[in-house]
Order: sequence, then C-alpha cells, then structure tokens
Amino acid sequence: MSRIRVLNTSLFLLAVFVIQETIISRINFPINGFSLYLAALIVILSLEERSGALVFGFIGGLIMDISATAENPLGQWALALTIVGYLFSVNKESIGDFTDTPLMFLIFISVASALSLFIFVVLGAMLGQDNGSFSHIFSIIFANSLWTFLIMPLFLPLVIKVRRALMSNRERA
Amino acid sequence: MARGGGNRSRLLLILLLVSSLFLITLDLRGVNLAGSIRSGVTTVFSPIEGFFSKIFSPIGNFTSDVRNFGRSKSRITELEKEVDLLKSEKVLDEDVVGQLNQLKQVLDLAGRGEYKVVAARVINRGSTATFKQTITIDAGSSDGISKNMTVISEAGLVGVVKSVTSNSSIVLLMSDPTFKIGVRIAGTQSIGVVSGQGGNKYLLQLLDATGEIKVGDNLVARGSQNGSPFVPGVPVGTVSSVQSNASSITQNADVEGASNLERIGVVAVVVSNPKQDPRDALVPKPSPTVTVYVTPSPSPSASK
Repeated sequence: MSRIRVLNTSLFLLAVFVIQETIISRINFPINGFSLYLAALIVILSLEERSGALVFGFIGGLIMDISATAENPLGQWALALTIVGYLFSVNKESIGDFTDTPLMFLIFISVASALSLFIFVVLGAMLGQDNGSFSHIFSIIFANSLWTFLIMPLFLPLVIKVRRALMSNRERA
Repeated sequence: MARGGGNRSRLLLILLLVSSLFLITLDLRGVNLAGSIRSGVTTVFSPIEGFFSKIFSPIGNFTSDVRNFGRSKSRITELEKEVDLLKSEKVLDEDVVGQLNQLKQVLDLAGRGEYKVVAARVINRGSTATFKQTITIDAGSSDGISKNMTVISEAGLVGVVKSVTSNSSIVLLMSDPTFKIGVRIAGTQSIGVVSGQGGNKYLLQLLDATGEIKVGDNLVARGSQNGSPFVPGVPVGTVSSVQSNASSITQNADVEGASNLERIGVVAVVVSNPKQDPRDALVPKPSPTVTVYVTPSPSPSASK
C-alpha cells in the first residue's frame, strides 16, 4: 500500500466526513441518525487488505475523533476502529463471502457499523463515560444499522468506485 | 512472505493500538490536544456548515416534517385557536374600554346631577316571559337597589327598575310601549308626557295647550314625588318633529331618545334623590360652531 494511496484515501474519508458533519448530520432521521462516514469507512475496511484495514481504521477513527461535536477522548474512535480493522483483517476470507453479493454486503455493513458503535460504547464504559441507558444506546445502534441498510444502496456503488479510482494500476490488477 | 506480512501487520496493530491508547491517555491526563484540534476543526467547518445549512435546511427538516405531520397539523389547529382566543380577547378588551368610557360618562352625568348612583353592567336583554322591553343588570338589592328607581346611561334616561333580586335587577326600558314619563321642555316651564313606542322614537304629548314645541327642544324628566320612580333633571330626549293638528287639544311631537338603548353596556341606578333639582344642568350643551369669514381679495385686472 503506497503512501500516496493512504493520503488519497484519507482525503476521501475527510471529504465524506465533511459531508457527514455538514449535511447528513442536519437531517432529522426518525429514531436516530445515520452515519454515512462510518458506513463508507466500513466499506473501505472490508475491501482493504490486512494492513490497509488497520491503517484506515486508525486514520478513519482519528478523523471521527476530531469531530467538533465529539466529547470522547481523542483516540477513542481511533482505538475502536483499529480494533474493527483488526477484526476485518483477521477474518478477511470470511468477509470476502459477504462482499460478493450486494444484499449480503449491505447486511454486513449494517452489522459492522453496529459492531463499531458497540465497541466504541464498551471502550467508553471502560473509560468511565456515561453514554446513557442501555435502551438509549440500543436505539442509537439499531437506528444507525437500519438507516445504513436502507440508505447505503444509494452510496455503496459510489464509494466502491471512488476507492477503485484511488488505487494504483498495480493494486487494481 | 506471509509470515513476514503477518508480523508486520501485528507490529502495525500494536503500533496503532499504542498510539490510540497514548492519545486517550494524553486526553484523560488533561493535555488539551483534542480541544484545540476540535476548535480548529470547528473554525474550518463553520463557514462550510453555514453554507450547507442555508442550502440543506429544508432537507434537514423534511423527515421531521413528515414524521411530525400530524403533530404539526394539530399544532396549527392549536395556534389557530390561540389566534381566535387572542382576537376575542382583543374584542373583549375593546368592549371593556368601551364600557369604561360609558361608565365614566355615566358617573360624570350623575355627578353633575348630584345623584347618588350604583353602577351596573347590562348582562341580558329582553325577557322570554313577557313582551316587555327590558334589560337585566348585574346589581340588585344587595347593592342598595330597589324597585322603581331611575336608571340612567351616559346620555340620559334608560328606564326604571321593575323588579329586583339580591344580585340583579330588571329594568323596564323607556322604549317599552307601556312606559310613560313626565317631562319638561328644558329652558321653559312647558310640561308633557313622553311615552315609549316600541322603537327608537317616542311620543311627546304636551299638556300645556299654549306651550310651544320646536324641533331640537331638549326634554328633561320632571321628577316624581320623593324621586320615585323618576328623579328630576335627567335628559330624556330631543324633539325631532312636531305634529301640528289644529283639532287636537294637546300638541304632539316625535322625540328622539337621549340614550341609544341598543348600545348601552353600562348604566347607573340612582339610589337617592339629589338635594336640589338640577333643572337644566344635565341638558347637553350644543357644541360651539366656528364661523370663518373670508374676505375675497380683488382679482387682478388684466392690463392692456
């Protein structure tokens, strides 16, 4: 994985993050919100090779950590998504089965988003954060997964295409 | 190769985990790294957010609008009700102000006539039991009102108290066909009787055959013995037309009532006689007219 690719993908994630913070976050979704950024990051992590999943998990988490509305310690999202990236890298072959069919891929992204949020909450609990009641946390995670499943079909092809465009010719081959 | 790649991945994982934990530790130990980065992000993002906010605010509200459609509808209904309530309150306020003005004028009239009065609001009109023209007022025997007391408005006579309960009284209006009152033409000693005709017009029968009635004459109550049912000096009306009939013993005239009985909201019941007859003191004075004389200037003649 070239440095330029890391830079390009990071810039792409930053762009998605800007869209998330400035546009998507303004939409009042029923129950709770939808994170296009997290879904896009999951797509990239699931398609990356082992070290790529770790690196982009960390960078993607760091970008989430600098969100102006975040109240968690800097590095918490980075840690959570690095763990997710590690889980993806360990189960690379199994994940490949899900990415083959669009519907399974969507279900996988939704579940992975929920898992990321869950890991973040667990880490927060370990760090002594009060994230509200179990039902509140559950509703946030459930709603995010639901909206990811419903909305991501619109963005999934675009994210895959952009990711492909950011790869070098050798990587594409 | 695979082993080497696995080791590198493990090393990378450890490096990233340690970096994350290091950042978290720094943050938790009070190194304000996150705060300054986030404030920088806010500074950079705020113009972009402001820009997108203007463009996408309708989209942002769309889902909540759809979700809250029923609630919004009920809210609109609630607001419409509130507007109606405020409008009715405004009308009520205007009504209260109108009644206050009427009350002030009634008290002013009573003061000039040196009548001791009890003010009351008109709470009902007419009666379902009889065809009499009456009003109900919100003052009764507990306020010192008794039967056959004179009721006045800001302009003059209204009627006479017909029946009294502890909290309310029924007033027979002077427009009732059975209503009769002895009057005197203001400024003269000519006396007559004004009787109700069922409407805004009244009939004056002048008892003095030699007396003279003119249009515009003001009529005041002569007053009854002991001031019951009528106190003296209360304006009754103004002669609007004179009926000339040579064969009649008495002179008749149409009278326009001093009080507009259709618009009264506040009245005063005269509960005690004035010490002396106010005579014509309560007759409305004609407002002075201003006459402007203009002397035309000579028009300039054309010079040849």
